[in-house]
Amino acid sequence: MTAVSEPVAASRTRDAERVRRWLRGYGLLSPALAVMIAMLALPVAALVLLSFWTQHGFELDRSPTIENYAQLVRLKDEPTVWFGIPFYFAYPVPAILMIKSLVMSLSATVAVIALAYPMAYFLAFRVTRNKAMWIILITIPFWTSYLLRVFAWKIVLGFNGAINSGLKALGIIDQPLEFLLYNPGAVVITLAHSWVAFAILPIYVSLEKIDRSLLEAASDLGDSKLKRFLRITLPLSAPGTVAAALLVFIPTVGDYVTPTLVGGPGGTMIGNLVQELFLKQNNAPLGAAVAITMMLIIAVIVAIFLWAIGYRRIRSRRM
Amino acid sequence: MLRRLDAVWIYAILFVIFLYGPVLLMPVFALNDGTFATFPLKGFTLKNFSSMAANTSMILALQNSLKIAISVAILATALAIPASLALTRFRLPGGGPIQSFMMLPLVIPSIVIAVALLVIILKIFGIQLSLWTVAAGHVLICLPFCMSVLMARLEGFDPSLEEASRDLGCTAWQTFWRLTFPLAVPGVISSLLMGFIISFDEFVIAFFLTGTENTLPVYLFSQLRFPNKLPGVLALGSLILVGSAVLVIAAEVIRKRGAPSNNPGDY
Amino acid sequence: MQRIKFIDRMAQGKMSRRQMLQSASAFGVGALFLPRPTAAAEVLTCLEWGGYDSADYFQAYVDKYGAQPNFSIFAGEEDALAKVLAGFAADVMHPCNYSVARFVNAGVAAEIDTSRLSHWNDIFPALQSAEGVIWDGKTVMAPADWGNSSLAYRPDLLPPEFNENPTWAIFYDEEYKGRVAMTDNEMAIIIGAMVGGMPYDEAYKLEGAALEAAAKEWGTKAVNVSKFLWTDSSEVQQAMASGEIVAAYAWNDLIANLRAEGVPVEFAKPKEGMFTWFCGLTLLNTGKADEQAAYDFIDAWLSPETGKALIEGSGYGHANMKAFDIADPEALANMGITDPVAMMADTIVFKTPSDAVQEGFNKVWGDTKALKY
Repeated sequence: MTAVSEPVAASRTRDAERVRRWLRGYGLLSPALAVMIAMLALPVAALVLLSFWTQHGFELDRSPTIENYAQLVRLKDEPTVWFGIPFYFAYPVPAILMIKSLVMSLSATVAVIALAYPMAYFLAFRVTRNKAMWIILITIPFWTSYLLRVFAWKIVLGFNGAINSGLKALGIIDQPLEFLLYNPGAVVITLAHSWVAFAILPIYVSLEKIDRSLLEAASDLGDSKLKRFLRITLPLSAPGTVAAALLVFIPTVGDYVTPTLVGGPGGTMIGNLVQELFLKQNNAPLGAAVAITMMLIIAVIVAIFLWAIGYRRIRSRRM
Repeated sequence: MLRRLDAVWIYAILFVIFLYGPVLLMPVFALNDGTFATFPLKGFTLKNFSSMAANTSMILALQNSLKIAISVAILATALAIPASLALTRFRLPGGGPIQSFMMLPLVIPSIVIAVALLVIILKIFGIQLSLWTVAAGHVLICLPFCMSVLMARLEGFDPSLEEASRDLGCTAWQTFWRLTFPLAVPGVISSLLMGFIISFDEFVIAFFLTGTENTLPVYLFSQLRFPNKLPGVLALGSLILVGSAVLVIAAEVIRKRGAPSNNPGDY
Repeated sequence: MQRIKFIDRMAQGKMSRRQMLQSASAFGVGALFLPRPTAAAEVLTCLEWGGYDSADYFQAYVDKYGAQPNFSIFAGEEDALAKVLAGFAADVMHPCNYSVARFVNAGVAAEIDTSRLSHWNDIFPALQSAEGVIWDGKTVMAPADWGNSSLAYRPDLLPPEFNENPTWAIFYDEEYKGRVAMTDNEMAIIIGAMVGGMPYDEAYKLEGAALEAAAKEWGTKAVNVSKFLWTDSSEVQQAMASGEIVAAYAWNDLIANLRAEGVPVEFAKPKEGMFTWFCGLTLLNTGKADEQAAYDFIDAWLSPETGKALIEGSGYGHANMKAFDIADPEALANMGITDPVAMMADTIVFKTPSDAVQEGFNKVWGDTKALKY
């Protein structure tokens, strides 16, 4: 005689089944997670520790202190004015560079998505043959080195560069345009060009999986092309587009190579500060504090962004 | 190919010009007879290509970079496939935080990862710096990219397909190979390509984590101090550009000859 | 090609699973064994500036050992020091007179026994005893290459008055905004202070409020007036060749390269003074290789043949007096000054600031750049 009633037995099997699924899931995750823990958890922990220490010459003072963080937010009465914005920080440089970096990488991200989306759309819906070839062709310019591509942009935008020489030959200008290179605009163009492949791939991948019968159904129901795009294609490709935006936005905030190469004297970004603190200024603890603060700010911005667009809803949408 | 020359096609053509325009200046100036890359052009020469071919350290650096990039692309993708499956298919407790943790390498400035890994590899693990340590660092920074692109592909697939497959008596392994993997293929290709180009192009981590062998970006960076070496470097860039394009197209042509396809969805 | 076909076939799903597994494992296993870590720990490891890893500069070492030493390339002394302090085992490093003290203070430099260097007695005596070669009474650097930092300008694009009386003030003059390029270095502040009338001996060790005032006045001007702050020679030489900039802080190689391309360019002796730097080889105590190999490498760098290659190849000077006897006279004429003794008397030799001063300069210069928009 069994003492257990039917529904309880069923729920037990369901529980056991769920636990088994979880174990399988963790099993699948474990190799990647192991790599990340071995190579990332340790550096991050070291970074956090370091940010609470102090550097004296070549010696590290390991007594814990929050002085490094306090330095970043300490106020003074007389503001440092930058771009018309008063900063009341005693050490305003990190705050100013953070804002500058966010604005630059946000512009670059918008430019990248605007450039990449139509191309991904083209790849997913218009290219019917040789798709793999098209995708590889789009990434080939990225197989040449980054430094060479930046150099190429300098030739395009430069004083005797392609644009200026072309315009001069056409008789449109007498004197070379000098505003093309060494300004934030040049940084945004160069960043957009360098990152566009990283945006095309995720967007393409999510467009590619859209069930074509949905689109046909919409047309059959009398939707115009535009309406069909707005109601079906755009929402269904949102996960890839959001992923692409984040993949471009997050790393470019901390980028410092492009701004220094084409941005001119005003090209410094927050990544440069971290680099200088770690190497030239011999103040790794303060550099660690700046890096951690920067990471937290980015995390908060990303969280707000995902919440604002209702990412959970987008992700769980089924086709 | 040009069946419908509409706005999307015109855009695609303009986009390819934007993408290739600047890099096509590399061959132009590699063939130019002058140290400095400025217009007007000075004259035609092939000497930069012969000096490039004679530059063994550059060729060696290119080989090192290719080895690392191919290994990294495969390793990172191999790690990312099961992890993305787990995060999209199984409603795991703690899945959200784990996913955020996986994305962490994106947020940390590369200089910080580089210095931190340098200290940890040398002081804690006591491993000698080599191309291996560079590859390890690259796998770490490629993982979030590979995961993102794979998860974008795997997300939103109807799980009932996989359930059906299992109900029909397929093992989990069979289900993976016959159903899940084929569905994930575009994502896998994108992930491999991303891993390859990120690693092939990465400078900061390679700079700190390499021992006495250079990767191509590290080598090129060192050459920037010598403007008269620049045309040789441009020659190499042009050769990579033209060579890889020719390879891709040739592979496609050969494949076409071998297997004519009428399936419009085929790629 | 094989790889692309593989991807393609995989993409088509035309490959059977068995085939795919076979190729994948062959590929993966192959890839695993490709990058081989270098095993030989006895090979000399040198931390070297990019481009100086050429056998032209240490042929005698290659002749003796039959192979080049291993090189780890660095872009700035800080990168190299960071790597050594993290535990990278290098035997020899190539610092300059103004930076060698940091390695000594960090406790990684070893004293050089000059009696083990066969070419030591041919080194210009002025260099043998210069600050930087000697630190705290010990010889810590074997001087090898030297050169100048000065103002390079395009005489064809500047008014004749400038030609007659060149001055560093051009980098702080709004009239030349966007047409000059300073180096991305705290020298911008030091030279500014000198333009303002302060002698170099005071300017190089500015501290505290005086440093901040100088940075605010001269650093800001330099950042605003410069088209860009250069970090690599290619960048500044390219811009000067195209006429984008008419004056720049430069080293001797800019003059040599631009003249070789037929671009008119002058290396000024500004009224505030031109600078001299010298670099050399320092023995590190972190290395694993045989010490004799390190001495042989340093000795090879000091040989007159290396000096000849350096003078003819890049227009820089060399520490060995005999190098000037065997070098091409035309290359020597292009260099201008050939005697470092005369040159050191006539120019400003860079001095070594204390670590605290150097870090102070690095900080204010970083901050000055950050505040520009």
